[in-house]
Amino acid sequence: MVRPKGPLVRLRRALLYVVLSAIALTTLFPFALMILTSLRTGGAIITTLDQLIPREITFQNYVDVWRDDRFDLYFRNTVLITAAAIVGNTIFDAMVAYALSRKAFRGRQLILIVILISMMIPIHVQLIPIFILMNKLKLYDTLWALILPELVQGFGIFLMKQYFDGLPRELDEAALIDGASDWQIFWRVLMPLARPALAVLAINTALSSWNAFILPLILTASPETRTLSLGLALYQTQYGIDYVHSMAAASISSLPLLALFLVFQRHIIAGLTKGAVK
Amino acid sequence: MAAWWWGRRRHRWNQRLVLLLFLAPWLVSFVTFTLYPIAHSFYLSFTKYSPIRGGEPQFVGLANYERILNDPRFWQALKNTVIFVVGTIPVTTTIAVTLAVFLNERIKLRTFFRATYFLPVVTSIVVIATIWTYIYSPLGVLNAFLNLLGLEGRNWLLDVTFALPAIMVMDIWASFGYYTILFLAGLQSIPEELYEAASLDGANAVQRFFRITLPLLRPTLVFALVINTIRSFQIFTEVYVMTQGGPIGATTTLVYYLYNMGFQKFRMGYASALAYVLVLIILVFALVQMRLLRYGERVSDGMG
Repeated sequence: MVRPKGPLVRLRRALLYVVLSAIALTTLFPFALMILTSLRTGGAIITTLDQLIPREITFQNYVDVWRDDRFDLYFRNTVLITAAAIVGNTIFDAMVAYALSRKAFRGRQLILIVILISMMIPIHVQLIPIFILMNKLKLYDTLWALILPELVQGFGIFLMKQYFDGLPRELDEAALIDGASDWQIFWRVLMPLARPALAVLAINTALSSWNAFILPLILTASPETRTLSLGLALYQTQYGIDYVHSMAAASISSLPLLALFLVFQRHIIAGLTKGAVK
Repeated sequence: MAAWWWGRRRHRWNQRLVLLLFLAPWLVSFVTFTLYPIAHSFYLSFTKYSPIRGGEPQFVGLANYERILNDPRFWQALKNTVIFVVGTIPVTTTIAVTLAVFLNERIKLRTFFRATYFLPVVTSIVVIATIWTYIYSPLGVLNAFLNLLGLEGRNWLLDVTFALPAIMVMDIWASFGYYTILFLAGLQSIPEELYEAASLDGANAVQRFFRITLPLLRPTLVFALVINTIRSFQIFTEVYVMTQGGPIGATTTLVYYLYNMGFQKFRMGYASALAYVLVLIILVFALVQMRLLRYGERVSDGMG
């Protein structure tokens, strides 16, 4: 079908680009502001808009928060927790998904429903007992308190089950005839084939674990166990006015993930909206 | 015969053991961090419990729930939360649907726009809230911009009237990208032929939107509304970073109040009851929404 290209159509398209670009600029502006402010010397007081672009730039603010405000520690902790969560979820979620996809047993449907429901329940109902439990286990204010609850996630189980369901069963049967055990089928046959799904799961886990806030807030007390999100929140509520430094701290907290996003943009968008649209 | 029987039995036991082994990670994690906490906080919601004073939970029956009903700060928190939910979701959804429709046309730079809108979704809420606190600060960018237009600025986050709307604007900015991408995926599953057939029948753009796009997008739309409602009722981090619930309770949301009671005042029995009230409220809202929007209804019915 040939569409007529009159002046009205062109005007409409021009308008469309104006709206899309205006919103893109609105989205980018706070990020630009964060980076520009983090590079400023002196204060961050802005009375006229031409002051937005710093005259001279410095990385001193980054050095200050990294060294003096212990964002080096927070960074290390966040990397550790995120790495543990990625390893945990890619192995454990996949194991559970293997059982749900390949084994017929009573209660299978029930487990799927229970997982789905537990994904919808607000975490806030569980906070107080988890706090009490971690205290009893002497894990309060340790990284374990932040790692253990994150090792298995319903989202990952569903994602992996869906992927395993799509892999032909003939693969398992062939391996079974060759004398492979379940563990070998899972580990040597299905897992290597599930790499695309594992990548989506790893990226999702990285995002949620890196940005987690409520568990670190209630389960840690000392700087030695603090994460970037918590460290930044406490810094912001404590030294609110010192924006050049809090913007440097915000950059340290967000730039690694933003870089990851720019590289894996397509996969991340696909992964985060997966399952929502049939 | 007996050997065969035993062998089969052993095989079945092995099978069960293997199954248990594979399910173990979820079983352990579910029981420890979901089932037990849910049950325990249900029990605690009927007790008076303040662990820092070294006491044990004291059973008080329905006293916590009764007190909630008569607690003006709970009602204020509920009111703030409902204002937040009702004020943000329609705006976020409208922006997202509009942008998704735009992006669904043949445009250049689609990947760029998509990625840009998605940036806030992958950024931690704490980072976003920190940047926006700076934007809203008395000597910040927003006031500088208003001065340029000859308007008077203000201390947005310390203003009883404007603090909550300021957080709402930020939330819309931070979340529309996710829903845009969601709707775009929904739109892309609508077959192009439908639009072509409608054009041939003389339907204009507006008619095509209301007769084809909207009905076929409905499942995605309902899903988005429900998850956004569940998420928005739990708004907390923004409030913690930007206003700490102030000024004078103007931005205290349900979860912030729960946090304040449970982890600042250590009234854990009361906070547990608040948590269950929160779940109940979310459940009611989500169910009503699904009912009103007829979630289960087939797409074809909507086109009739």
